[in-house]
Amino acid sequence: MNWMAKPRFGGTATATAMPVAKPGHAAGAAASAANIRVSNGLKEFMWLISDVRNGRILDLGQVSQATLTFFIEKGYRVSTEDFLRSWKEFLSGEEERMRSAPVGEGTEKISQAILADKFLESSLQYPEESFHGVLAWDLFDYFDSELMPRVMQRLYSLLHPAGSVLALFHSRPAERFHRYRVADAQTIELLPAPTLAVHARVFRNREILDLFGKFRSSKTFVGRDQLREGLFLK
Amino acid sequence: MWSKSAEGKESPQAPQVTAPDPISPKQTPLGGFAAPAVAAIPTTPQAPGAASTISGGLRIHGEITGNADLCIDGEAQGSIRMAQSKVTVGRQGTVQADIEAREIVIEGTVHGNLKASESIRLGTGSKVQGSLMTPRVAIEDGARLRGKVETTRVGELKRSAAAGQAKSAEAAPTTSVTATKE
Repeated sequence: MNWMAKPRFGGTATATAMPVAKPGHAAGAAASAANIRVSNGLKEFMWLISDVRNGRILDLGQVSQATLTFFIEKGYRVSTEDFLRSWKEFLSGEEERMRSAPVGEGTEKISQAILADKFLESSLQYPEESFHGVLAWDLFDYFDSELMPRVMQRLYSLLHPAGSVLALFHSRPAERFHRYRVADAQTIELLPAPTLAVHARVFRNREILDLFGKFRSSKTFVGRDQLREGLFLK
Repeated sequence: MWSKSAEGKESPQAPQVTAPDPISPKQTPLGGFAAPAVAAIPTTPQAPGAASTISGGLRIHGEITGNADLCIDGEAQGSIRMAQSKVTVGRQGTVQADIEAREIVIEGTVHGNLKASESIRLGTGSKVQGSLMTPRVAIEDGARLRGKVETTRVGELKRSAAAGQAKSAEAAPTTSVTATKE
């Protein structure tokens, strides 16, 4: 199963997401079972990093005990940065700063590009090629058009050669905000969470591939729950 | 327990402390005068399980070391090195310091690296920016962490902490603590 050698393709794999019953979730009412999805993306992500000794993973979602434990038990080191929350807090801070500044002092309208640059001065600050894998979850659905390419550029530089990114994309506007955690090597749990940000865009497959154009190889999987998984190899 | 008669009664186990009268110094048997006590500082070691507290409104700058357990509900800046103890940062606590302890529990906000020889727990509502290094880590839902998590083998950090303590014992202690009550 060496898809590293395969050329990038634009088509989508077969539908894979389905509710599964897990022993650990026996009490699991149907509602909670519906939030568990089999993830071919995660399965391949794990396969890609399986050869790495003392690999380092960057989790850009909200920190989760389950995800941490999963990777730590396999010998990986995990860094975590709740990226979307940090971005939202940064924007709120900037808004507050402008509101409280005296008229004429620093209240000139700041472009989204400047905001994005300023935010990244204090975010994702790691040495280049630090990580073997990045869990980006569905963050890209919530970024504006200025922040997105900058984040992508930064992630690319943070990844070790042959490192990979696992990202999720909603095929239609998300009904509610979720956070994600790894349940096992091929299962992701979607946990409803208070809305952090408004769903900004629905990516088409071509747009996803363009966004990750610098990457050597891309693969996407679409589930029945309209969540598209993308795996991108540097 | 709630009856009026019980109110105001001192517990039989409570230590009876009689503060010396600071205004009228007492005459000693030899005819001299004993200096009035300014503040009573307990010099005996703390009972096991007792924790020192940096309460809300208190701000500490400097290095905090010792063997007692520590609860921080105020603000602390500098470094906290209590290799044998449990350090708890309460909901109202704000710490800008690296913390090194046996066990670390965070409910409040910490900017700094956490190193625990036994375990680290991040409670709901905790905010941590810094790395975690410990054999066991527990992160509750709602906790926020920005930094890396590194697990060590049990005993690894204890050994390095013991070596560090021995080294610092050889050097002259340079402890500077500034406390300000708001």
